[in-house]
Amino acid sequence: MRGGRFVAPIREARGVPKWVLWSGIVITTFFVILALFAPLISPYNFDEYQTASGERFGKQQPPSAEHPFGTNVLGTDVLARVIYGARTALEVVLLAVFFSLLIGLPLGLMSGYFGGKQDRVLVLIMDSLFAFPYLLLAIVIAFLLSDKIGQGVFTAAIAISVVYVPQYFRVVRNHVISVREESYVEAARALGAKPGTVIRKYVLQNVIQSVPVIATLNAADAILTLAALGFLGYGIQPTDGAEWGYDLQRAIADAGAGIWWTGLFPGLAIVAMVTGLTLLGEGLNDVLNPVLRRRAIQDVVLPAQPAKAPVEEVGV
Amino acid sequence: MAGGHHTTSLRTYALTRLALALPMIWILLTMVFVLLRVAPGDPISAALGGRLSPEQLQARREAAGYDEPLIKQYFEYLGNVVTLDFGETIVDNRPVTEVIRQNGAATLELTIAAFLVSLAVGIPIGLLCGRYRDTPIDIAGRLFGIVVYAAPVFFLGFLAQIVFSQWLGWLPSSGRASPVTTFDLNTTTNLYLIDSLLSLNFPAFKDVLEHLILPATTLGLVIGGVFIRLVRVNVLQTLQGDYIEAARARGLSERNVVWHHAFKNALVPVITVIGLQVALLLGGAVLTEQTFNWPGIGSELIRYLNNRDYIAIQGIITFFAVLVVIISLLIDLVNAWVDPRVRY
Amino acid sequence: MGRSLRILLLTGAALLVLAAAGCGGDDGGGGGGGTIVHGTTDQPVSYDPAGSYDLPSWNVIYNVIPGLLSLPPGGNQPEPALAESCVFDNPSTYTCKLRDGLKFSDGTDLTAEDVKASFDRVNRINDTNGPSSLFASLYKEAGKVTGQEVEVVDDRTVTFHLNKPDATWPFIMTTGGGGIVPSEYPANKLQPDASAVGDGPYKLAEYKPGEQTVLEKNDDYYGDTPKNDRVIIQYFDKSSALKLAVENGEVDLAYRNLTPTEIEDLRSADGLSVVEGNGTEIRYMVFNTKLAPGKDLAVRKAAAYIIDRQAIADNVYNGTVQPLYSMVPQGIAGHIDAFKTMYGATPNKAKAQQALQAAGVKTPVQAEIWWTPSHYGDSSADEYAEIKRAFDGSGLFKVQLKSTEWDQYSEAYAEDQYPIFQLGWFPDYPDPDNYLTPFYSTDNFLKNHYSNKEVDRLLADQKASTDQAHREQDFRRIQTIAAQEVPIIPIWQGKQIAAVRDGITGVDQTFDPSFQFRYWLIEKS
Repeated sequence: MRGGRFVAPIREARGVPKWVLWSGIVITTFFVILALFAPLISPYNFDEYQTASGERFGKQQPPSAEHPFGTNVLGTDVLARVIYGARTALEVVLLAVFFSLLIGLPLGLMSGYFGGKQDRVLVLIMDSLFAFPYLLLAIVIAFLLSDKIGQGVFTAAIAISVVYVPQYFRVVRNHVISVREESYVEAARALGAKPGTVIRKYVLQNVIQSVPVIATLNAADAILTLAALGFLGYGIQPTDGAEWGYDLQRAIADAGAGIWWTGLFPGLAIVAMVTGLTLLGEGLNDVLNPVLRRRAIQDVVLPAQPAKAPVEEVGV
Repeated sequence: MAGGHHTTSLRTYALTRLALALPMIWILLTMVFVLLRVAPGDPISAALGGRLSPEQLQARREAAGYDEPLIKQYFEYLGNVVTLDFGETIVDNRPVTEVIRQNGAATLELTIAAFLVSLAVGIPIGLLCGRYRDTPIDIAGRLFGIVVYAAPVFFLGFLAQIVFSQWLGWLPSSGRASPVTTFDLNTTTNLYLIDSLLSLNFPAFKDVLEHLILPATTLGLVIGGVFIRLVRVNVLQTLQGDYIEAARARGLSERNVVWHHAFKNALVPVITVIGLQVALLLGGAVLTEQTFNWPGIGSELIRYLNNRDYIAIQGIITFFAVLVVIISLLIDLVNAWVDPRVRY
Repeated sequence: MGRSLRILLLTGAALLVLAAAGCGGDDGGGGGGGTIVHGTTDQPVSYDPAGSYDLPSWNVIYNVIPGLLSLPPGGNQPEPALAESCVFDNPSTYTCKLRDGLKFSDGTDLTAEDVKASFDRVNRINDTNGPSSLFASLYKEAGKVTGQEVEVVDDRTVTFHLNKPDATWPFIMTTGGGGIVPSEYPANKLQPDASAVGDGPYKLAEYKPGEQTVLEKNDDYYGDTPKNDRVIIQYFDKSSALKLAVENGEVDLAYRNLTPTEIEDLRSADGLSVVEGNGTEIRYMVFNTKLAPGKDLAVRKAAAYIIDRQAIADNVYNGTVQPLYSMVPQGIAGHIDAFKTMYGATPNKAKAQQALQAAGVKTPVQAEIWWTPSHYGDSSADEYAEIKRAFDGSGLFKVQLKSTEWDQYSEAYAEDQYPIFQLGWFPDYPDPDNYLTPFYSTDNFLKNHYSNKEVDRLLADQKASTDQAHREQDFRRIQTIAAQEVPIIPIWQGKQIAAVRDGITGVDQTFDPSFQFRYWLIEKS
């Protein structure tokens, strides 16, 4: 039943929503593969600056056979940094979405279901966080954490997840509140089911439906936030990993000197990955959201007529 | 929203929301204070570390009172906020309110211009996409919206600078106005476009406009991309409404139906979503300001962050927090006035 | 919908017409006639001499609020400026006689009272960002003024009673902290920046924080009239924006802080040229002499043989810095290339190996080297990567690079947490004392536990002597010992570099060890 809720609409999708969804899937899968198999796909490591024999690649070299995307100011290969950048992006975003869900989902469930004073306080706190310009919040938190636990994937992920927890909380809570009033839930409670059971069996399953869309769209946003943090210098250091936003920041100084390859490729990578995730999210939304869903028009097939019993003629 | 809630009067709703806004502001203020005091580093080491001996640095830190108990500092902070005394920045002795006023005006000018651009881009395209759902127009429009939003504003800005400033030389690459114009301009409101009009200084007006085009368009495009999606979804939902069916049944032309009924109603919910975009705009403004050297409050915040000037940071973030709360309060009130179902 | 749309379109059209009306006016690029536009990424802290210790603030103070003495263009010894003559009565007493008829830019007279008020307030205010620590030889305690330190002998004569002999006192008076302000300036707090008053070639016409500072020619100045009427200092957040601006002609000269890549590219740009001069900013690597491996003299010597300064200057900085062979940089009187003499100008692996073998040190030597990512600019990463390559490449060292942000770094290095670490120095004034005492005295800033009695004696000796030749002898001796004991390896010395549009002259004249940017020499043809 659970799988069916997702798979059936996807299979039924027709026309534009189908293409949106599938292009999203293709692009996202492409980047996931890049990320997972980076060491196998990438010609060099992200911080490699010389060949095995010790010969340096050279700084800011234009694209060539050995370096299809050229090299950057640190003397490392741009293609390698783009590929490993996908890995960093995926790591951070998965962690961030995981953290946000870990905190936002249970809080939203409890708060929505039980209501009361805790609910009001939580709503207030979450609304405050939600109202805050997300980038500033992420910057301040990244800046704070960077001194305690150093700048790295974890710091970036935590900074980003703090920004998105309120969103998950809100959506889940609203969903829970509407589900809570449904008659079958009332019936279950009347029958004496414990809150835990009710939540688990009815509410959670219902709520889980909206999570994939939110998570995907949030992932897209998270990549942009990560790039922004990297651009401002609060992201991941180049020696610890490749991050597109940081590379873009160094590339800006290059652009004025006519060195376009250090900035164009990381920038395009960001655009592509975010577009892919957005298409995936929008596609899922189009396909799963009953309001927007357009069912495929299927031919009506009447059941086979049973053989008619012979009518006995009665003499008139 | 399921269940039978009676709709309360607008006044009750407004008062309730106002009453809620205050604790919200307090929570934000406390968050800001805690975050900053936990922050590493201090402005003295940031500025003079390495130039003075460690003993001299410590002596200066003590003289400046950075070692006082946190609780005392917290209540001082709250008291100052209430009296709107945000103090002076540590690294350049400017009253924080002056920073907010001067640089805030620059950011305001940028965000308003960007907002206008985003409306001009987002609404027409969104309407078209909704109207011609699933046609090539819709696909192109949606794709445009998605790709433009997916491009980080600093990437778009950097491309814009290369093309329009370096290669074509049509527009200046940074700043609010050229150096001489900035000096000549008689600033009263600090919104340079308005100031140049007020003093009838047309060369200055042209200069300021030229400097505003690239940053406003870059940021506006990105936000516009979000609007396309929002407007489109609203149009789709509206077009499925019963009254639309009724209008069609009455024999009204499709054009009539779409323009006079659907669009107007589709745009109303957009107003409420605009409130959410303000937070987005402010965040985007920081990045745009960094890219285009726009002396707005976002740039100043980054500069003060790098210098660990916690008084400045506190003041600026407090200002942002309060601003966002007020704006969302206003949006909610407008929303409630328009749609009584929202009030609780 | 139709009505409002029409109104909107009309308004837009009206605005465009207005903008077009602005055509034909000044195109806004670069200053016209007598206005010089200087683009920079440095932002000032305060224009009150009592409130700043940073270069951008001091740059304006030198031009608007000069002091009794100054460093002449191209020279490296203090000369009388507002003062007519200054002399050491004895190593602890310094008397200056003011010129006759001096007036501040607001028309009031400049007398000895103003001089006393200016110095006293620096120490009394003891501002967090201020230069009070520079006046340690004059005031016993920061924040406290007895009133006896600066004596007003008569209307035009002032005597400074130092609390210990200090031969560098004239240099200290040439810094921004020595600017003479009217005694009407608040005695207990800073003067607002926009109301800065002094007796300099310029007066402050306007200050818009974060945007620009405007200086205008001061007609009341006693000295030579500036070669331009007005200077606009325009602030940029990012050097890439500054570079585009100087290429487009939006600014006349770009000075501080273009990256090496940007400068490299500007060298071949049209309509402008790159002007260089000896700089006095230095970078170096410090050994904590109590921690391994720095505690072995042999290791330090080996490192001094291996380090490849030229590779760093060329590969990392594109020639915008030059190799440094002593903590006292080239251009400062008393400098000698001590490290070049002792260790050579190019890496010498053989000698390094010899030194390690002779001391019985096992190779490769494990070395943990620390650096900080943003405080000294983005190139720090590249610089230390380059150092690691040289050290590892010799086969004698195995380097592990580590970094932390400045907040933690600035405390950690002084607490014995880093065996080998990166640092930089920005001089207060171009006297060798300012490059030696902070680093080689027993209680030095670096807290690396280096101590040498002979060096301490020599440092005290030169400070107390007013005979320049004698001081230089002391300096040479100190630098030689420093090279022998190698607690610090000097790496590079920055050049002063500016991108200057064609038609602008005078920039090369002001590029000297004083690090003062003298706007009055800049001319636009």
